[in-house]
Amino acid sequence: MIIENLSYTCPTDLQEAIALLSDPGVCSQALAGGTDLIIELNRGSIKADRVVDINHIPELKMIRENGRITIGAAVTFTEIIESPLLQNKALLLVKACREIGSPQIRNLATMGGNVAHASISADSLPALVCLEAEVMIQSSAGIIYIPAAEIVTGAGKTKIPAGGLIQSFEINPLPAGHRVAFERIGRRKSMSIARLSMAALGSLDANGKIETIRLVPGAAFAQFQRMKVVEDMLLGQTPTERLFCTAGQCMAQLYEAASGKRWSAEWKEKAIAAITERALRQVFGDYNEN
Amino acid sequence: MSDYQFIGKPANNVDGFAKAMGKARYVADLQVPGMLYTQVLRSPIPHGRIIHLNVKPALKIHGVLAAITCDDFVDHGNLGWPIKDSYILAYQKVRYVGDPIAAVAAETPELARAGIEAIELELEELPGVFDLTKALNEDAPLIPLHPPVGKGNLVDRLIVRNGEPDEILSKCPVILEETYFCHHQEHAYLETEGTLAIPNDDGGVTVYSNDQSPFINRNNLMMVLGLPENKVRVIQPPVGGSFGGKDDIDYQNSGQVARLALMTKRPVRLTLTREESILASYKREAMQIKIKLGAEKDGTLRAAKVNMLADSGAYPSQTPLAAWRGTMHAAGAYRYDAVHVDTDVVYTNNGYCGAFRGFGNTEATDTIEQAIDELAFHLDRDPIDLRLQNCLHPGDRAMTGNTINHEIGLTDCLKWVREQSNWNQKRSLYSQQKTSEEIRRGIGVACYFHGSSLGGEGADYATSTLKIENDYTLTLTCGLTDYGQGSRTVFTLIAAEALGINPERIQMLRPDTQTAIDSGPTVASRSTIMGGNSTRVAGQNLNVLLVLAAANYLHCDPAQVIRAGEKYIGPNEDPITFNEVVDHALQMGLTLSSYGTWNMPHIEWHFDKGTGIPYYCYVFGAVVAEVEVDQRLGKTDVLNIWMAHDGGKIIFPQGARGQMIGGIAQGLGYGVMEEMKFNQGYPQSINFDGYLIPTALDMPAVKGTFIETHFKEGPFGAKNLAEPMLIGVAPAIANAAFQATGVRNRVTPLSYEQMLLGHDLAQPAPLKRIRAVLGAHS
Amino acid sequence: MKINFNLNGSPVSIDAPANITLLNLLREKFGLTGTKMGCEVGECGACSILIDGKVVNSCMLLAPQVNGRSITTIEGIHDPNGGPNDLQISLVENGAVQCGYCTPGMVMAGEALLSHTLSPTEDEIRNAIAGNLCRCTGYQQIVEAIEMTADLRRRKLAGQAKKLEEVQ
Repeated sequence: MIIENLSYTCPTDLQEAIALLSDPGVCSQALAGGTDLIIELNRGSIKADRVVDINHIPELKMIRENGRITIGAAVTFTEIIESPLLQNKALLLVKACREIGSPQIRNLATMGGNVAHASISADSLPALVCLEAEVMIQSSAGIIYIPAAEIVTGAGKTKIPAGGLIQSFEINPLPAGHRVAFERIGRRKSMSIARLSMAALGSLDANGKIETIRLVPGAAFAQFQRMKVVEDMLLGQTPTERLFCTAGQCMAQLYEAASGKRWSAEWKEKAIAAITERALRQVFGDYNEN
Repeated sequence: MSDYQFIGKPANNVDGFAKAMGKARYVADLQVPGMLYTQVLRSPIPHGRIIHLNVKPALKIHGVLAAITCDDFVDHGNLGWPIKDSYILAYQKVRYVGDPIAAVAAETPELARAGIEAIELELEELPGVFDLTKALNEDAPLIPLHPPVGKGNLVDRLIVRNGEPDEILSKCPVILEETYFCHHQEHAYLETEGTLAIPNDDGGVTVYSNDQSPFINRNNLMMVLGLPENKVRVIQPPVGGSFGGKDDIDYQNSGQVARLALMTKRPVRLTLTREESILASYKREAMQIKIKLGAEKDGTLRAAKVNMLADSGAYPSQTPLAAWRGTMHAAGAYRYDAVHVDTDVVYTNNGYCGAFRGFGNTEATDTIEQAIDELAFHLDRDPIDLRLQNCLHPGDRAMTGNTINHEIGLTDCLKWVREQSNWNQKRSLYSQQKTSEEIRRGIGVACYFHGSSLGGEGADYATSTLKIENDYTLTLTCGLTDYGQGSRTVFTLIAAEALGINPERIQMLRPDTQTAIDSGPTVASRSTIMGGNSTRVAGQNLNVLLVLAAANYLHCDPAQVIRAGEKYIGPNEDPITFNEVVDHALQMGLTLSSYGTWNMPHIEWHFDKGTGIPYYCYVFGAVVAEVEVDQRLGKTDVLNIWMAHDGGKIIFPQGARGQMIGGIAQGLGYGVMEEMKFNQGYPQSINFDGYLIPTALDMPAVKGTFIETHFKEGPFGAKNLAEPMLIGVAPAIANAAFQATGVRNRVTPLSYEQMLLGHDLAQPAPLKRIRAVLGAHS
Repeated sequence: MKINFNLNGSPVSIDAPANITLLNLLREKFGLTGTKMGCEVGECGACSILIDGKVVNSCMLLAPQVNGRSITTIEGIHDPNGGPNDLQISLVENGAVQCGYCTPGMVMAGEALLSHTLSPTEDEIRNAIAGNLCRCTGYQQIVEAIEMTADLRRRKLAGQAKKLEEVQ
């Protein structure tokens, strides 16, 4: 049960929201989609005396392009998936968001909430990191930008300062010629937490060798990062099945070294090799047809 | 076969519109003025002794009006059948995580929660039994207060003794001997358990509970509350699914809530949250099953020996009966010269187990069908061919030694699924896949039989009543209930057919112990035969009176009256309507009500000898599954299911189809997706985010049919179908997965880990979440 | 706190605490028990309602969040005479209602889909109800009922358009 004297406020002004969230006298939580927060409040695993509904703040609800693409933190996953702009210029993100939850969840849940909640299986983060997104954060100390790869520091932990709020995500549009892939393993075909995922982006040079490659696994490591070791081993190479297989094995070794004694490690070690290969195959296979 | 007006024709679920409009009122929707809310204090540990329990501090909270323990019931609220080892609230010990210890009634849910948190509870944790194979060890901690059969954690022992298999097996050229394991399964009905109790002025109580069997609930309440029959009334509102799961736990809830209502003299309601429900309610028993089959080189089955070990968990509940049914089906729907089965039912501290659709035959079929498939593989025989060669025909003796004399549609079922699935082509195609392929397909088969009704479990009868009301509608009652499987609609159609009137005239009353007549529990695939027959008899008895009145009006002999739609037509005069006949009958002084009883002919199973007749009749079926296995991930995707079921005459076609597809969904979940596992007695999942059941996207393409054999003792030739149409699915999937991968896992479900690694991984239980649900005492 | 919103076509105003979910508000304060509680973690869809035409789990919204919004519950889905509408009739006639507990949620998800498209593919229908668990039916008959309703509404619309043409 949620505490009885919970108070609710719904500012339409961003600065007002920040002031409410940073008010030291009242323990406040930002309420975006609520699909994580409500559950945690019910369970008592998050304590708050006040929720600040941030779904009516214009800066948090916009999707626009101005050189870079800006996606407000309170934009829902349905809005992301249905945005022609994002389908066109940030397809990787759209692919990742399509797999989240259910229509009901996607109509409420937001990318800002997904990132701030920082679950190890957060679905939007691998794609955001792969797209080299920057997270714009507002707090009483002003505005800061944190790269998506750095924002999550551990399970449930972020660099968002106390009383701060994610305002938006800034993404550079994908240059032409770049291909994307998103692999995700869930225990069923809808409403399933990602057991493992992989966001991938790549391009070939004029000689058919790998010019760009970005690989970001999800639900695997403590943080969401590009796997530079594997990427370096792929750069400049001609894509072949054997290359994909080696990359997969390399990824598995990295996972094994980092995973410690997690209960699911024995399965994930093997599975991560498979989805690495498949993501690469999706990006580089049939490339010439592009 | 005469053409029926309503039987076998499209019909609407009688409750359908109310449900589709959100107007059906389930227990949680019932609000009564002055109603109090209940919270239950439940054990946070899997095994412990209650050292100190004091509920008085709860009463100090303003707004908490009553608090109870086992001492507030007759004989400490001891109940349970067939083994009386359960309590309304825990007595002396707690035996599983979620075991109810005390309950309070308060003005609001928040106050009720505060109430249970105020209760003083001290538990001495005891070592527990978490591995069913160790439950009978000499040094295993004892779970029950008194061993029911005098042997430690043994709940019950069941046997089949048909001939001498050892001798035959020693001579068989082909032997298959393997061990299989079936994990627990959670019912996952969408509506959780709930009960509302309203105290009456006369010191009695009226209880609305979403249980399956209101009469059993009533009888239990009489016993634990110490009230006579006329002071306890139990009514069943619409139920949001049960699948066997809302018996014992609802009797406990009802006892708790009724006692609180009587103490406070106010209505009291308890509805479990989903997490409470998954923690507290019983599951399908886990089983380890060892199968030894002996056959000739030409594939003829000769003998079978099966050893079943069933995990009953903390309390026996219905597990002894489920284990009995499993035992009766353990060697499958085949001819043997000899079969022995030995089943041990044991206590553990892994939750507790009881009835769940299939009732022991789910596990039995799952395992024997995999064993038969393994035998086919060793013999290099097609799996369907081997089954056709050995499966039962009318006049054959079942594995239990009794002769089956009615029509058996099993051969037709196997042939249908074989043809529809393009079996031959696909078996050949998939056997040629390269082992190096990451994604491989396979097609597999399973068949089943399922005894109808209680069989040797007990006296088997049902009674229905019919009454014509002043407005020319009829009210129908039956002691058997509908929790979504459509029995209300089936009974209505049967009554309509028997009387030759439109089903819309007939209103079936909600099951109510005051108005319906005890017809035994709604379990064991007995509703259509028992309740259908009793309704048919009631209908025919009433029809006699109506035809008599019509004949009198038409000045002819009753035998001369013919029917066309609702009209009554005599040889001489104009046809008359139903309403006119009713009016005339009343003028004649006839009482326009009837009742009909139907008894299953007496059969007997000798539990001590392992011989006899376990069931009066059986249903049969076959399933083919086509799967795609991702060998890199261990993921099994079920692409197609074909199912043929012989349930006799189909009465309500849309309902039957729904039961088949629903059964496929549950079988699919059981086979690949639903993991109800315990880690040191703590469940690994406690809500639908961890315990996954199939969604609309997970369903395979489905093609099914009903092979309508004629069962002359059934109403209009019907047997039953709802329960067993789940049991062939998981083994068909497992057998298909074997063709795809070449690996036998012998574990249900086929989790990703099991498929990829060859063993499961122990997921830690969400202890923090469990403690949050159970309260501050953890 | 005071919450003002549109409920099934009518403006309503109610005093409610902030710590209850919309599900709770609808069932306890408005007595609209057609919306069901199934899991309270947004996994089963039994509590589905429409907020400004979008299907959401009412257990995932706090009551004050509906201020100024338009909410439709199952009680708001019926034909003009108060009887079952075409989707509800379709569900019943197709045998898609067994225990009925998931049915209100399925109706809401179905209506949300049909407000987007009257020519859904089977895949689109299954995706639309992918957030609604059913333990009884196996979904097939529900999918068929939604398909039939889409067909019905499409033809009705075409019929109306034709009539308009004729008039013009």
